[in-house]
Parts: sequence; C-alpha cells; structure tokens
Amino acid sequence: MRKHEEDFYIGYLSSAPKGLASVTRLRILILIAFALIAGGAITALQSKFWPGVFEFGTYRDFEGMILERPYPTLLVKRPEAGDHFPYSRYLLVNPFKFGADETVQGLNGQTVSLKGQLVFQDGKTMIEVAPESVKPLGNSAEPVSLPSSEWGRHTLRGEIVDSKCYLGAMNPGNLKTHKACAVRCISGGIPPVFLVRQKEGAALYFLMVDEEGNQVNEACLPFVAEPLEITGNVRQEGGMLILYANPETYIRL
Amino acid sequence: MSHGYQFVGWNRQKKLYDLTLLGAVLSYLLLFIVGSIVLHPDAVIDMIILRALGTCAFVLLHVILAIGPLARLDRRWLPLLYNRRHMGVTMFTLALLHGLLSLLTYHGFGDTHPLVSLFTSNTRYDSLSQFPFQPLGFFALILLFLMAATSHDFWLATLTPPIWKTLHMGVYVAYGLLLGHVGFGFLQTETHPALFGLLAAGCLTLLALHLAAAGKETKLDTQDGFQQDGEGYLKLCEVLEIPNNRGRMFFVGGDRIAVFRYDGRVSAISNACQHQNGPLGEGRVIDGLVTCPWHGFQYDPATGASPPPFTEKVPTFNLKVLNGSVWVHPNPNPPGTYVNPGLVEEPGHA
Ligand code: HEM
Ligand code: FES
Repeated sequence: MRKHEEDFYIGYLSSAPKGLASVTRLRILILIAFALIAGGAITALQSKFWPGVFEFGTYRDFEGMILERPYPTLLVKRPEAGDHFPYSRYLLVNPFKFGADETVQGLNGQTVSLKGQLVFQDGKTMIEVAPESVKPLGNSAEPVSLPSSEWGRHTLRGEIVDSKCYLGAMNPGNLKTHKACAVRCISGGIPPVFLVRQKEGAALYFLMVDEEGNQVNEACLPFVAEPLEITGNVRQEGGMLILYANPETYIRL
Repeated sequence: MSHGYQFVGWNRQKKLYDLTLLGAVLSYLLLFIVGSIVLHPDAVIDMIILRALGTCAFVLLHVILAIGPLARLDRRWLPLLYNRRHMGVTMFTLALLHGLLSLLTYHGFGDTHPLVSLFTSNTRYDSLSQFPFQPLGFFALILLFLMAATSHDFWLATLTPPIWKTLHMGVYVAYGLLLGHVGFGFLQTETHPALFGLLAAGCLTLLALHLAAAGKETKLDTQDGFQQDGEGYLKLCEVLEIPNNRGRMFFVGGDRIAVFRYDGRVSAISNACQHQNGPLGEGRVIDGLVTCPWHGFQYDPATGASPPPFTEKVPTFNLKVLNGSVWVHPNPNPPGTYVNPGLVEEPGHA
C-alpha cells in the first residue's frame, strides 16, 4: 500500500516518483515501438508505384514540326530510325496542370525550336515546354504524312489517366487517390489517355478523342480514374494509339 | 502548493514529455521517408512526405484516443494523460501539413482554386468505391483545428466546461471522418490486405479499450442496496475501508460521490473534477486538499472549494460517522457548501 501511495503522480511537480517513472518510461517505449512498427509496415506495404521519370530541372533543346491536332505534338526527325517513319513523336504540355494548346496555336505544320523537360515511362515520352521557349523556324520543307493503320473496333477496359502525371510527374499518378489531380490536369488541357492493363505484357496507352477526332477533355472529366469500358475505333498514327469513341458511350464498371 | 493554469511553468517533466514526443514523431517521419525512398525508388518525394505526415498524424491520433480509457483502466497511465494536450496539438500540426501539401499537390497549380477543386473534382457521392474522400479529411481537419485552438485551459475557463467538453468530444467525430478518409482514399489505391488489417486493428483496439473502461465504470454505477436510516442517510462503508489520505467512489442517487479519509476525519464531495471531469475519488489528499489524479486541481474536502485564488467548487454531501460506519445523505449541497467532517473513532485520532 505504502509503495502505491508514493506512486501518485502530480504533473506540476518537477519529477515523478521513482517507481512510477520507470513504469511510465517502459510504457512510452512500448507505445513508440507500436507506432514505429505501424509506420514501417505502411512504408513497406505501399506498392502502386511505377517506373515513371520526370526530368525535373533538366532542360533539353528540341527542333521539330508541330502538330496541333488532336493534341499538341512535336515530330522530331530521327534519320537513324529507318525509312518507315523516321520521327520521334512527343506530346507537348505546359508547366503545372496545363495543356500546350495555346502555346502551339497557329503553328500547325511549322518547324520550331523549343526547350523542355522530359517526362517518360515505358518508351512513351512527353515534353513539358519551357515558357516562351518556342521559336518558329518557318514552314516545314517537306510535308509529313503520318503512317497510320486501322486496328478496327474494340471494346477496352481500363482507366482514364492524365498523360503527364501518369508518365511520371506524379507517382502513383493514377487510381482513386490521384483522381482530383487528374481531373485538374485534364481540365487544364493535358491530353487524357486510356490506360489498359493487359494480363501479360506492357500496359497499352490510347490517346482519347471523340468519333470525329476532337479533344474530349471536358466530356471525359466525370469518368476520370474510374474503372471503365469503352468501345471505339482504334487507329495507330505515327507510333501512337488513338481511341475514337463518343464520351456518351463510356460505361462505368 | 497552490497552482493553476496561469502559473504552471515549463518544468523538467513537461520538457521530457515534449522532447520524447518530438523525438518519436521525427523518428517516425524519418523511418517512413527514408524507408520509402529505399524500398520504392520510383515514388515521387512529395507523395512520400505527404503520406509520412498523414499516417504519422493518424497513428498519433490512435495513441491519444487510447490514453483516456487506458488511464481509467490503470491509473499508472495518468502521466501520459497529463500532457495529452501537447500530443493533440502536435497531431493537428502534422495533419495540417499533410492537408496543405495534399491541397497543393492534388488541387494546386491548375485551372481552379484549390479549395473549390477540393469539393468539385470528385462528386461521386452516389458511389461507395468512388466516394469523395478528401472532403472528409478537410472536415476532420477543421474539427481538429477547433480543438487544438481551444485546448489551453484559458479556453476551458472562457467557454465554460460543458461547452468545452462537448467541443472536445468532437475528436470522435473527427476520428470517424478520418476512418472514411483513409478507407475511401488510401485503401482504395493501396489495396494490400495487411493495410486494411492494420486499420481494423487500430480501430478495434480503441473500441475494446473504450468498452472495457466503460464496463469498469458501469460496475461502479450499478452499486445498489445501501442501508438507509430515517433521515435518508445511506450507509456506504466502514471508515477503515477507506485508506488514509485516499478516497472511495460510490454511485448514489444518480451522482458519483467521493468519500475521503484524512487527518482523522471523513468528508464526501462530488466525484467529478471541475476541470475535465477527472475522478476525484481516485485522487489523494495532499496537504489537507483533495488532489485530482488527472491534472492536480485541488479542493478542500470539507467545503468542496479550491483554495484561493482559485474559484472551482464542487458539491458536498452531508455525512456522519456512526459506530465506525460512514453514512452519507444522497442529496448534494450547492457547490462550496461547508459540511462538518465526520470524526474517525480510532486510537490516536479521536
Ligand atoms: C484538407 C484536408 C486533407 C486533404 C486535402 C487530404 C488529402 C489526402 C489525400 C489526397 C490522400 C491520398 C494520398 C495518397 O495518394 O496516398 C490522403 C491520405 C491520407 N490522409 Fe489526408 N487529407 C486531409 C486531411 C487529413 C487529416 C486531418 C488527417 C488526419 C490524421 C489525414 C490523414 C490521412 C491518412 C492517414 C492518409 C493515408 C496515407 C496517405 O496516403 O497519405 N488527412 N489525404
Ligand atoms: S480533470 Fe484536470 S485536474 Fe481534474
């Protein structure tokens, strides 16, 4: 009893009774251990990261031809890439959560130089154009025709992501927790991409347009980051898969 | 001996408490951030930091909510309860940083004001799997802010205890909102079953502790069948069943009464401390004053009043000692009413 008596704790005195102090110390250590174990477990159990890269702070120079439609694109000549289509095709976006529509306005078909940072993953590459860096160099000498092939009508299951974050500006840059950010990006003009995971092999990325080939940024917003089924015509144009489908026919799963 | 919120300084124990808390929080953040960079080299650093902050706040909230019932089940947890306010403010700070960083990362730098985007970027309130989880975090943060901002005893005195206590019960509402925030958010993206298990374990532990603590109090609350005399006094116990300078709690007539033996005398006052409802019956009589086990508020056992300059008063109960038994009248006197202490008839004190 006497021992217990001494164990009465009074917080405003400057030291606690000895017996109580050691019990308390042990309990605090146990609590902290619990917290750190929980934190360690959460750290280890995160899994939805993808090998995307955003070359933040590294500006490179590019020279090539602008395509305004369906989404701002730069075609850069690669003589070493063979005769079939000797170009690299980059989607262009502006810094933060904005597309490059205004940056390339009126430059369709023109050769330009620009500076930008690369965002890439899985062999898909995008350029975040540095502000004010686009310099027109005149009309392209030879008009480029994009080699295209029809893949026919397909029904695909996947998720709408914003191409910039998904490729690497954010990570994880998809799924539920990323929805708000993807909505901001797509609403700001970043090209929406339909991401289809296959049972085996690499994921497929489809640039999304409506049946007439127009941008669908506004129309697809309510569907972003949700599991969807989309039926439409698929076409490969200059190395990029494009999905032509009416947003009113997207089906939530 | 007298003290109060105006005068309590930054003593060694408080410093130790704060240093330990700070050390634990920093260790957690460091472990999470370095661990994530090593295990997941592809992750973007903002994501890691905002997850470290969010989970740290959430884990700390579990600790905070566990300490209340733990202290009711075993008094030796009380030293942790004493400065729980500092844990609360720390938890709020972590949550605020997490919220701000999330707002900036997910909603900032775009075509819409972040606070507008917070409520308009996802409106699928009709779907469980797509339910907007970020507004839940936002409202929890507002509640935590109100509590952190009013956590000082100055606000307890200003708002009056009933309002203050109601406001601070809001922590359970905040916890509920955060269960939704994490369940409809993080756990929909990161779907490892062990993460779900971890959340369930935390939630069920809190539930079990609260039920156990409530069970202990119900046992006290269902005491019954005291012998009653012609004047309405109830025979509660024998004097010698109360250890010297300590109290015993009884549930009588809808009230909890704390009966103390000290200095050869016996007095009965209401069990609920005016500060935050601490159980006075679990306190001690120190220098002739009943001292609350939670934060040390003191009351004269004969009058129920705090010594000057303090003004807290609790109700007293009429009491008599007959043949070594304590008889208490169940009707409370107005707070601060002097009642003649009963005299203990034992050798050396009579
Ligand atoms: C304005 C308020 C808030 C916003 C905008 C917000 C936003 C977010 C977002 C976007 C995520 C998902 C991040 C991810 O992809 O992993 C998240 C997760 C989380 N949040 Fe919040 N949150 C807010 C308030 C809070 C508060 C007050 C807490 C309290 C402890 C909290 C605790 C958590 C936890 C534990 C997670 C899961 C781990 C994580 O993903 O970070 N959040 N929050
Ligand atoms: S409850 Fe805080 S001192 Fe009694």
